[in-house]
Amino acid sequence: MSHKGDKKEYAVVVRNLSFRYSNQDANVLESVNLDIKRGEKVAIVGPNGAGKTTLLLNINGILRGYEGYIEIFGRRIDGRRSRKEIVRDVGMVFQDPDDQLFMPTVFDDVAFGPLNLGLSEDEVRTRVKEALRMLHIEDYEDKNPHRLSFGERKKIALATVLAMKPRILLLDEPTANLDPRSRSELISILKWLNESNDFTMIIATHDVNAIPDIADRVFVLNRRIIAEGTPREIFSDAELMEKTNLEVPDVMKLFELLRCFGFNCDELPLSIDDAVEALTKIIETSDGRHIHLHIHEHTHHGVERLRERWKYEHHL
Amino acid sequence: MVNEMMRDVDKYTALNSYIHRFDPRAKIISFISLIFSVVFLSDIRTTALCLAVSLVLLIISKIPLRFTLRKLMFPSVFIIFIFIALSLTVPGEALFRFYIITVTYEGLYEGVLIVLRAFSALILAFLLVSTTRFDDIIKALNSLRFPKPLTQILMLSYRYAFVFSDEIERMLTAMQARGFRMEAKMHSLKAIGKALGMLFVRCSERSERVYEAMLSRGYSSEIKTLSNFNMRAVDYVLCMLFLLFAVFLHW
Repeated sequence: MSHKGDKKEYAVVVRNLSFRYSNQDANVLESVNLDIKRGEKVAIVGPNGAGKTTLLLNINGILRGYEGYIEIFGRRIDGRRSRKEIVRDVGMVFQDPDDQLFMPTVFDDVAFGPLNLGLSEDEVRTRVKEALRMLHIEDYEDKNPHRLSFGERKKIALATVLAMKPRILLLDEPTANLDPRSRSELISILKWLNESNDFTMIIATHDVNAIPDIADRVFVLNRRIIAEGTPREIFSDAELMEKTNLEVPDVMKLFELLRCFGFNCDELPLSIDDAVEALTKIIETSDGRHIHLHIHEHTHHGVERLRERWKYEHHL
Repeated sequence: MVNEMMRDVDKYTALNSYIHRFDPRAKIISFISLIFSVVFLSDIRTTALCLAVSLVLLIISKIPLRFTLRKLMFPSVFIIFIFIALSLTVPGEALFRFYIITVTYEGLYEGVLIVLRAFSALILAFLLVSTTRFDDIIKALNSLRFPKPLTQILMLSYRYAFVFSDEIERMLTAMQARGFRMEAKMHSLKAIGKALGMLFVRCSERSERVYEAMLSRGYSSEIKTLSNFNMRAVDYVLCMLFLLFAVFLHW
């Protein structure tokens, strides 16, 4: 297959995808349309039960009986034969590593996928070593997954997929249930994978604070695709945020608050990195090389208004 | 519970002894054939010899005696019950009477035989699983052409026994946190019944997700594994010796 050189190449094309589980009455997905280019990093956000996992499973070619059209690198998903090819191209990291790790040792689990690809024994061993080294968990080969922490198991689940060298990586809630330290570690791993690999990544997540770091484009899903855009476009759309019960990243909230105190920036930073950049730029271009904050009459109104917008009120 | 029991099993698999270094495939063949041989023995002296051999193997394996005793205690209770039952019920020449209880020579003989057989088999089986890592046992079974579905079931059970026992424990803790007491009352029993039902639902849902995750990594009815087994001359000789001994017992 020669995909190189073709700039318009799409990794994933989904047209009018509808899906219903056989034990449910309503469709989980309702004519979903997606176009994801090669090498793009995409986040899918949406409330619980919005169909994020179902969408990923469909792109992974696991669920049968969907309506519509799904194409991976120009090849339509249908029938058994192409399913085998999908496994080669698409890897999925499930939300709960206990679902993904089923072997007695880490080595066996990471070797499982490559062995299914029919690789030689030497190649499989190299792939296992490589995948574990990438995530700095080389010493775990002989361990039993049960004795490892959730964060460690999550990394091993990622390794089991990386060892298959997929071109498209699907991640279902990669940061969910992790402690803060493991969460930052996982985000930095994803950032590193973003930079150093020709991956196309599709990440289903609730973690709005992580999105600006790991995704170039965001789809808002609630059974159907409600909105699509860069993280900035999505998070700047206050009406959309309200309608879909989404929140904006904390950094963005803070800087919006700072605006009320007279901090002047045209674009609200979305992540810590953005914030550092924005602050540096503003301080360097200001007269006295410092930033100036104040409290005026309008400050109180502004803060009050923002609080009102972000508030969730609980009633009986 | 299950967790504690399972965690223990492979506690001493990392020791270094002749038994530990014995190639898992040869070990399985040797020990299983010896176990089969001993359970069909009907002579007390040869059975005693086999028990002695298993005890020697136990000593060679360097597994701490306390650990062995603790593990064998539970099955021993059953064996002793069977011993008592046999020596009291098998008809024959009476050795002595005590009111209505009669101990016969034949009963005692059968009882002692059962005890010797059971303990030899028990010790051998215990040695096999406590000196071999679980994944090695499975890989050995795989390479011995053991039926694939069975090894797959074993493999998945090993991993998910831990996961499910954690799940049960979490459920019980959550119930206790809301004032649940484990008592022989209708209310308690009902609650346990419902919890087990819930566990069943959760397990079945998980099994679906596990299957999906396996499919996603290219699973098609077979779990392939790689092993580092390496049969040395010693393993062949040792295995031959075990087989000869197993046959010799019946000579």
